[in-house]
Amino acid sequence: MNDHEKTLPEPRVWRSLDELHSDGPRDMRTDHEKTPGALLETHSLLGRRGFIQYTGATAAALGMSACIRRPVEQIMPYSRAPEYQVPGVPLHYATAVSHRGDAIGVLATQHDGRPTKLEGNPDHTGSRGALGLLQQQAIWDLYDPDRARVPAHREGDSLLDSSFEAFDEAFGALIATHAANAGRGLRVLTRGTTSPSFMRLREAAKARLPQLRFHTWDSVNEANVLAGAHLAYGQQLGTVVDYGASRVVLAIDSDFLGTEPGALRAARAFGPTRAIERPDQEMSRLYVVESTFSVTGGAADHRLRLAPSQIEGYLRALARTLQSKGGFDLGAIAPAIIAAPLDAFSAHSAWLNTVADDLLAHRGTAPVVLGSGHAPALHALVHAINVALGNVGRSVKYFAPVDAAATDPVADLKALVADIGSGAVQTVIVLGANPVYDAPADVDVRAAFGHEGLTLVHLSSHREETSELATWHVPEAHFLETWGDHRAIDGTVSPQQPLVAPLWGGRAPIELLARLAGEANWRSHYVVQQTFRSRFPAPGSFGREWRRTLHRGVVAGTGGVPVQPPLIQAPAIATALAQAGETAAEGIELVFLPDSRLFDGRYANNIWALELPDPMTKIVWDNAALMSPATAARLSVRNNDVMRVSVGDASIEIPAFVLPGHADDTFTLHLGWGRPSAGRYGAGKGFDLRPLRSSAHMHHVAGATVAKAGRTYNVVHTQEHGSMEGRPLALDATLEAWRADPRFAQFRSVDPTEGPLWQRQDYSTGHQWGMTIDLGSCTGCNACVIACQAENNIPVVGKAEVARGRQMSWMRIDRYFVGDENDPRVALSPVACQQCEEAPCENVCPVTATSHSPEGLNDMAYNRCVGTRYCANNCPYKVRRFNYLSWHEYLDGDPELIGGVPTLTPTYGNMPETRKMQYNPNVTVRMRGVMEKCSYCVQRIEAAKIATRRDDRDMRDGDIVTACQQTCPTGAISFGDLNDPRSNVARKVRLDRGYHLLAELGVHPRTTFLARIRNANPAMGTPAAAASEEAEG
Amino acid sequence: MQIFPRKLNLLPLVLGAAVFIAGGAVTFGVWYYFSPKNLQVGYAPQQPVPYSHRLHAGELGMDCRYCHANAERSYEAMVPPTQTCMGCHNIVRTDSARLEPVRQSWQTNDPIPWTRVHKLPDHVFFDHSVHLAAAVGCVTCHGRIDQMDVVRQDQPLSMAWCLDCHRDPGPNLRPRTETTNMQWQPDEAWTAHLDERVAALNPPTHCSGCHR
Repeated sequence: MNDHEKTLPEPRVWRSLDELHSDGPRDMRTDHEKTPGALLETHSLLGRRGFIQYTGATAAALGMSACIRRPVEQIMPYSRAPEYQVPGVPLHYATAVSHRGDAIGVLATQHDGRPTKLEGNPDHTGSRGALGLLQQQAIWDLYDPDRARVPAHREGDSLLDSSFEAFDEAFGALIATHAANAGRGLRVLTRGTTSPSFMRLREAAKARLPQLRFHTWDSVNEANVLAGAHLAYGQQLGTVVDYGASRVVLAIDSDFLGTEPGALRAARAFGPTRAIERPDQEMSRLYVVESTFSVTGGAADHRLRLAPSQIEGYLRALARTLQSKGGFDLGAIAPAIIAAPLDAFSAHSAWLNTVADDLLAHRGTAPVVLGSGHAPALHALVHAINVALGNVGRSVKYFAPVDAAATDPVADLKALVADIGSGAVQTVIVLGANPVYDAPADVDVRAAFGHEGLTLVHLSSHREETSELATWHVPEAHFLETWGDHRAIDGTVSPQQPLVAPLWGGRAPIELLARLAGEANWRSHYVVQQTFRSRFPAPGSFGREWRRTLHRGVVAGTGGVPVQPPLIQAPAIATALAQAGETAAEGIELVFLPDSRLFDGRYANNIWALELPDPMTKIVWDNAALMSPATAARLSVRNNDVMRVSVGDASIEIPAFVLPGHADDTFTLHLGWGRPSAGRYGAGKGFDLRPLRSSAHMHHVAGATVAKAGRTYNVVHTQEHGSMEGRPLALDATLEAWRADPRFAQFRSVDPTEGPLWQRQDYSTGHQWGMTIDLGSCTGCNACVIACQAENNIPVVGKAEVARGRQMSWMRIDRYFVGDENDPRVALSPVACQQCEEAPCENVCPVTATSHSPEGLNDMAYNRCVGTRYCANNCPYKVRRFNYLSWHEYLDGDPELIGGVPTLTPTYGNMPETRKMQYNPNVTVRMRGVMEKCSYCVQRIEAAKIATRRDDRDMRDGDIVTACQQTCPTGAISFGDLNDPRSNVARKVRLDRGYHLLAELGVHPRTTFLARIRNANPAMGTPAAAASEEAEG
Repeated sequence: MQIFPRKLNLLPLVLGAAVFIAGGAVTFGVWYYFSPKNLQVGYAPQQPVPYSHRLHAGELGMDCRYCHANAERSYEAMVPPTQTCMGCHNIVRTDSARLEPVRQSWQTNDPIPWTRVHKLPDHVFFDHSVHLAAAVGCVTCHGRIDQMDVVRQDQPLSMAWCLDCHRDPGPNLRPRTETTNMQWQPDEAWTAHLDERVAALNPPTHCSGCHR
């Protein structure tokens, strides 16, 4: 023991700066908790009098109910039963979504006609069975009660409800007018697309209406990436980095595991290279240079924080360093970078020399990736570096572009606004985009769309900011309601198959486009079939091939074939590099990033997204100006101080939040918040950044001035919730240390020598469920948290209740900072119920509501629970969640939301009907006053057991996949039978880096964590270790 | 002066005994008479269509699974769609007045609103398919449906009643081929191998077996 402690100096692990700077354990209670009786007072509708009234009424009601035999319930069978639909048996359909220019395969689950859950389609080449956070939460949007239901037509200053018939007629007339003048004055503004049908119809519409012009707008777009590839090769190319084939990755301001294009594909490939099972295996190494602290930075082996303006300098200096080494030649680009100053990085010389050596030592498998926020010239330089490193064709692959007609959205939107201003435009049809909310501040879309005589047709899921100016607003169908198709960046084409008819009607963008193109049958089903017939002809019957395609979710024979890029256009890159060059300015630099949950604001009314803690800051229900501790100290601001952030004349107010490890003199601001018309849940939540973002500075801007606004705003975060008070929990070691001491994790977390006071149960027979979570490949992306929420009917509680520590997610991802507060590294641990074999919660339950199953599960019988909360108190992992109130309808009972006095309805009377449709029928919806927690997805376990009984076979490894395991992009979670020696989980449990959380308590958890291994480069020095020793001394 | 007679001294004792007995009676009454065995068994609501199981399953000898077709596949045995009724009744008794709601449903596409007889609480996840896979007969839980003109609840369907069988399933098991046979009786050949079957079955008695 002592030897091991000596070999492993323990750096300080902390969850927030307050914890780091406090001496003893903090009083974690909120003010409300310190006040006795606060629960009743805060819920104002239930004062003392109200309580007595309700008690009386309840007693009377109970007396009455004894006289009534039963509530009479009816069974409503079908009149004509749909084919394949067996009531009670869920169906799964393959479909697809697109995100940031890539397609993601989805397997959607439908219970008796209601889509309830989305999972990854294992047959899809990009996602290979995983699903990211944004796609997981998209199911909620289908049931969003604020979705537009009928088209609306402008009468004077207001939008009045109309009908689809009226819209169809008006739209037909509009098209007829423009058909007569060849489309003069007609513009279509769309989002970037991956849909072959969309592209086909776009061409058809252009052919029919020659003067029709298309514009694209996305506030978060891939224009720099595409332009960079175009500059580098002289033609449109899609770039895919194969992280699975990479040994050394240098990510420069690229959150490639989080929000960058292709993040899901990247995480799927990258995860296994981090989860090595034996010390002698090869492991990839990740260097990250970034300004904010992203999940990719958290996964890095070495991380350097730089302001965005220094990042360009770093890249040039790296190119120069590489060029100066032998066997690396950038050719004609060399003169352009030879002047790159190195002295700015004298403090980080290892980041040039050592990194360059490492890249050169792993030629072919050492990709350099750059964030999509950086200029095309720099992207072109990165392409040139990858060519010179021999990565092309091995770890960097190129594919034919998804949309060869993709344009620069900023220029495109500007052109549209200018044309409207000049009076050349009579009609604008906006398909999906919301530029009034997210256009750059210097492009006045609001004024343009309000132009006298302009007819504006807006297709969107909600009546949002842009809709308010529209002549006609048309509800857009959800992707689970309409047909479509998507082309992945590697060329794989997937059909988008609906699971339900539109709940309230609704149109797809391709349907409006088909009408523009003059198609007589413009229904999306026909349109997509037409595309498949013409673009992907198959031998034999189309019908059979179509059904096969829908079954698989991908079109056979498409995709996966990279193209050989042409020779790199070195002179053009050199010219562009000479022209580019950001000049650093005084003041604060601002970085604008898409939010990991709301993205560009399109998920702003999604309550799951709103309450999901940000992966790094753990902030819920808000965004904030993130800054480093040093910058906060220099500006003398603390968390929650509202800052006035100004760029030129424009300014916004936003609260400050200190993020350790952030670059100095830089603020990170997340987009997508502060939408005034998001819907009942999201409207006005967070802070809108639009005034600060200009068309020249969409991604970062230098020279901002900041001042304290003199007030505070309560930013709620969960980073101190469930603190484990400094015990060794998220363990990691460098690869070298692991090789020296393979069982380090078990020595840090040791089972007690004495057993419990009672006889232990025998778990040697039957199924014994267990889980492993590999901290090596976990990136903390939160996909599992949302998957769990969707699967297990977990409610959200609202910002005020999260502040009281009452959030309900069964799975939380604890994020610890390790070491120095200015440049810490990150340790993650996803914690759900550990299913202890000697569960402390069970011993204290007075009503046996929680008890052990013979298969090792810690069962929860909700209807027995009387809500003493003893179990939560006795749980060492703090994973039990209590329904203090009727959370499911709680937000809907909020007086501010429903505009009046809330009623206390225990029957979910306030809750919109549609939201109930999302519930998983196989999991009880818990009511007020009961405890709940992770069940290892017991409904899936039982369903699999029933299936084996039905089919008379034995359980196979992989029959049971928990929701978190299914979605995990990096495959960090395994689940199965510990007594099955061939199971994946049984093998992983025995790995020498496996350990149990708080093993010393002797509770024998069933969840095993695999300690993270960091592939640190010894030549880089260990600044983090040195700093932490300093901190400890 | 003695106002009350001496024997009134017994009053507290008598009162105490009376309260005890009355309390006991009330407790017993509630415990016994408010139990599902009394409140649920025998429930036989009138149905929108006077469908007779005695006629169809008893006299005509139709198999249960002709209509309750999903009993072996789903947790729900399924009340059949109108389509199933019309499969025969567009040929047989096409003008019967009692079948009018069925024809109505077929024409309007609206469901027939049957009244649920066998109801389990929402937090109970009962699965027909696994019980049939284990070869528990229909008659065990539903009684002699083939003798009922109006379906009535035959068993309490209470948790204790479920657990009685889960703890000792032997008496309620039968060959898989006989699950829908209402008259099957165990013979010696069957009882001889029952213990093996029971051991292989091992039905759950822990919470999450039924509550999730």
